[in-house]
Amino acid sequence: MRRADDRTFATLLMAPAAVFLGVFVAWPLVRLVIDSFYRISPIAGGPRSFVGLDNYLRALRSSTFTSAAVRTVAYTGLVVSAEFVLGLAAALLFSMLGARSTVFRTVFLYPLMIAPVVAGLLWRFLLIDNFGIVNELLSRAGILSGADAIGWLSNPDIVLLSVAIPDIWLTTSFMTLVIFAGLQNIAADVLEAARIDGAPPASMLLRIILPLLRPVIAVALIVRGIDAAKAFDIILIQTKGGPENASQTLSLLIYQTMIRFSDPGLASAMATMYLVVMLLVATVAVWFIWRPGTAQR
Amino acid sequence: MNSLFVRRPGTRALVWALLTSLLVLYGFPFVYLLLTSFKTPLDTIAVPPTVLPHRWTTANYTSALHRGGVVASFVNSLTTATLSTVLSLLIAVPAAYGITRFRTFSGRVFIMGALVARMVPPVAVGIPLLSMIRALGLIDTPTGVAIAHTTVSLPLSIWLMASFFEAVPDELDEAAVVDGCGRLEALWHVVLPVVAGGLAVTAIFAFLASWNEFLFALLLTAVRAQTTPIVIANFQTQFGLDWGAMTALATMYSVPVILLTLILQRHIVAGLTLGAVKG
Amino acid sequence: MRIVRQSRTMRSHHWEVLGGAIALVALGLTACGAGGTGGTGAAGSDGAVRVLVEAGGHAELQPVADAFEKETGTKVTFVELPYDGLYDRLSSELSSGAVSFDVAALDAIWLKNFSAGVKPLDDLFTPDARSDLFPALLKEAEVDGSYVGMPVWTNAEILYYRKDLFDDPANKQAFKARYGYDLAPPKTWQQFSDTAQFFTRKGIYGTDVKGAVETEYLATLMQAGAKDMVLSGDGNADIDTPEALKALDFYSGLATRLKVSPAGAAQVDWAAAQNLYNQGKTAMMRFWAHAYTQIPAESPAKGKTGVTVLPAGPAGTAAVPGAWYLSIPKATGNAAGAEKFVEFAFDHNDLGVQTALGLAARKSALQKYQSKPGHENLGALVAALDAPATTPRPANAKWQQIVDTVLVPMLQKSVAPGADNAALLEDAQSKIEALLK
Repeated sequence: MRRADDRTFATLLMAPAAVFLGVFVAWPLVRLVIDSFYRISPIAGGPRSFVGLDNYLRALRSSTFTSAAVRTVAYTGLVVSAEFVLGLAAALLFSMLGARSTVFRTVFLYPLMIAPVVAGLLWRFLLIDNFGIVNELLSRAGILSGADAIGWLSNPDIVLLSVAIPDIWLTTSFMTLVIFAGLQNIAADVLEAARIDGAPPASMLLRIILPLLRPVIAVALIVRGIDAAKAFDIILIQTKGGPENASQTLSLLIYQTMIRFSDPGLASAMATMYLVVMLLVATVAVWFIWRPGTAQR
Repeated sequence: MNSLFVRRPGTRALVWALLTSLLVLYGFPFVYLLLTSFKTPLDTIAVPPTVLPHRWTTANYTSALHRGGVVASFVNSLTTATLSTVLSLLIAVPAAYGITRFRTFSGRVFIMGALVARMVPPVAVGIPLLSMIRALGLIDTPTGVAIAHTTVSLPLSIWLMASFFEAVPDELDEAAVVDGCGRLEALWHVVLPVVAGGLAVTAIFAFLASWNEFLFALLLTAVRAQTTPIVIANFQTQFGLDWGAMTALATMYSVPVILLTLILQRHIVAGLTLGAVKG
Repeated sequence: MRIVRQSRTMRSHHWEVLGGAIALVALGLTACGAGGTGGTGAAGSDGAVRVLVEAGGHAELQPVADAFEKETGTKVTFVELPYDGLYDRLSSELSSGAVSFDVAALDAIWLKNFSAGVKPLDDLFTPDARSDLFPALLKEAEVDGSYVGMPVWTNAEILYYRKDLFDDPANKQAFKARYGYDLAPPKTWQQFSDTAQFFTRKGIYGTDVKGAVETEYLATLMQAGAKDMVLSGDGNADIDTPEALKALDFYSGLATRLKVSPAGAAQVDWAAAQNLYNQGKTAMMRFWAHAYTQIPAESPAKGKTGVTVLPAGPAGTAAVPGAWYLSIPKATGNAAGAEKFVEFAFDHNDLGVQTALGLAARKSALQKYQSKPGHENLGALVAALDAPATTPRPANAKWQQIVDTVLVPMLQKSVAPGADNAALLEDAQSKIEALLK
């Protein structure tokens, strides 16, 4: 169906989305980038002076920014890999059970429906020292020596892991649902043929299922990677980035700098750098695992 | 049916057992939330903590419902999330179709652009967005909030729909065009029914993105359009935390989305079965 | 193509869905929301006064609003937001230059940041008004030479203690035998340490140590006789001092040296500390005065709680006022109504005492109720606010950043075992200097 006016038709189809994103996202972004070259008073009408790259240099010279960047990478890697493994496992299990798994699938979706503000507090109360139920149950089961054996939220060495748990809990369902939908679209005869050939389950998974799922997995990984990297509300509620800034990620730092520390110029520079790096990483990721609109079948 | 379906009883039992234990672990936080909503104020954060309430009470539900603005905020949340979902799908479906079917260069640029939109930390665009929504006269209206929420959900909707369209072979709509359909008709009558499951999934995520969103709702609403997440957050104040009422309201707030998922689940199954025909 | 024909039969159904969707969007464009009373789109178009308030503070202001409406016929609409959300909202709106409210209740530490966006209220600070306000609050309300907020209620930390434990004859006897003086609500740091150690036993701790919030350390700093609260009068860092070290040793020593507090001090914040006391897990608690009326009915501490001022350090007792102020944004469209409301709220300040929180800002309002049963906390609150060493937090635009990035992390390190407090203070000093550059 490659007619001469295909290009026009495709453009028309994309136009509404392009206009919407252009007005409500691209324009604010342009202002963000412009702001990053200014020192700005946080109250409208206040002074505003051009400082060139000064905001960028200030950000790069501060260890707060660089260590938040490192933490963001660790946090994102942790969240996305845990979600992928759990999500794939759950989706496979659901597929093995067929239609009977409907009820379970619904239950599995449940965390998605909890507002992050509640999820953050819920996990704070699950993990917090003194009255966290997780430690209490673990110690009653004899796994921990006492209810205060692990300081989930007060030990700076493990707090990044602790704040990642709720994020994993909340959105593994997303991964599961997307992968499950992808699994349903794998042609039955391909798998049947492999099974008849006597392929062991592990090699079926690695050599047939995963390659066939590549586009779906790509979307799920990229989207979740992007979302995990910008996570801030759940962390904010649980620890406010502490203790000792050990759970302060970049987007949390941008939020704090922009609004709480009233330095929009610096925050804009941080956000711009964050976006540039994210864009590079995502481009590479898209290039390697999925090329939308170029796939050959 | 499904290609991974397991028939051997022994294996099935094992899979069930595995899944059940996974779900018990996974579901525990939610069960804990639910149980907390039936505890007395002192019990909600007891030291040491307990799983079951010492004394069951529905007082938290009554107090949450009696708080001013709760019912109105439910209506606002529902209006906002529905508007945002419809808007998101109406824009995303044609865009994703255009990107995956015609494989133009602009399409490839566009889908990366959508990705950039997803990357933006909300706080970085919050203030300009606030000014724009105000300039449009949509401040403190569900429409204004829905537009803001669509900036978050639209990129995901485009990407999800693109991935679902990718899975549908070109021959399908080509055949439809040969059958005498216009291209929009081919999309509407032939391709969309095949990806109905994907559409349902996309709708759920667009709806949830708006339903639970906090920051834009905080910045853009005042008296008339305040959504429930803000009201839920209001149970934590400078003077203390009403954790019981908060969990009660959070539980009630999740009921509509559970219903939505249950309703759409049938369509997911239907859509997926249709999709299986294509092989 | 079987599918094609199949789905053709669904054609009409499909178009219905689309039609419905479009109708819904159209409806949304005209929808005006379900809450409130309407008419609040344009600034003060119907003369109503819109008040932006933290959710907990709403209850304090509601009686004032009711009385105001009755007397003037002007409606008051509240927009309730969570604490951090209120700051975010104020910051965004003042930064965008257009506001959706006429009056805002501001936390003391925000005044400096927002002072450029709010109107001076000097006319309301008559000599009479000034004489009825605590000196610390007056000092705090004045930013760069003008009063930018009118105090509406104030808090301060006081000492809560379990009367039943202190009155127990066996405890009294054992305490006297061990420490050589009578068991009583502690008046000094030393007595506080002794008492906290005495009550720390299985299942109960002497007190809590808060690592996740800073205000209590600031009060301790003033009790130690520090000249400045973290920042000097001309805005320079001043925390690497002998007094600050003395205060920090006492503050975190309760957790690290004396071990009279529950584990996990690094994440203990106000909510956690209050919960521990209400659960009967701590015998004493240093906490804001409002908690007195908030003890749940089934708590072991209910009806058995006494209150007094915080124990004195070398410079006597001291507290940090936690006051809230009503301010009027410059960009409001209803300045006249807003000003009337702020004045009315000051004149009827005592209405706040009768609410569940029971707070007010004027001396006369607090003193009117302090001897009434159920308001015992107000006497301690007035005494705390009147203490000579009581000092407001510094008015500095970077204050929030200093708290979040220097003070709280410092306290969290300090409550960990083996912390070197002197080195921590030195480090904090240089970090604050860098921030202020």
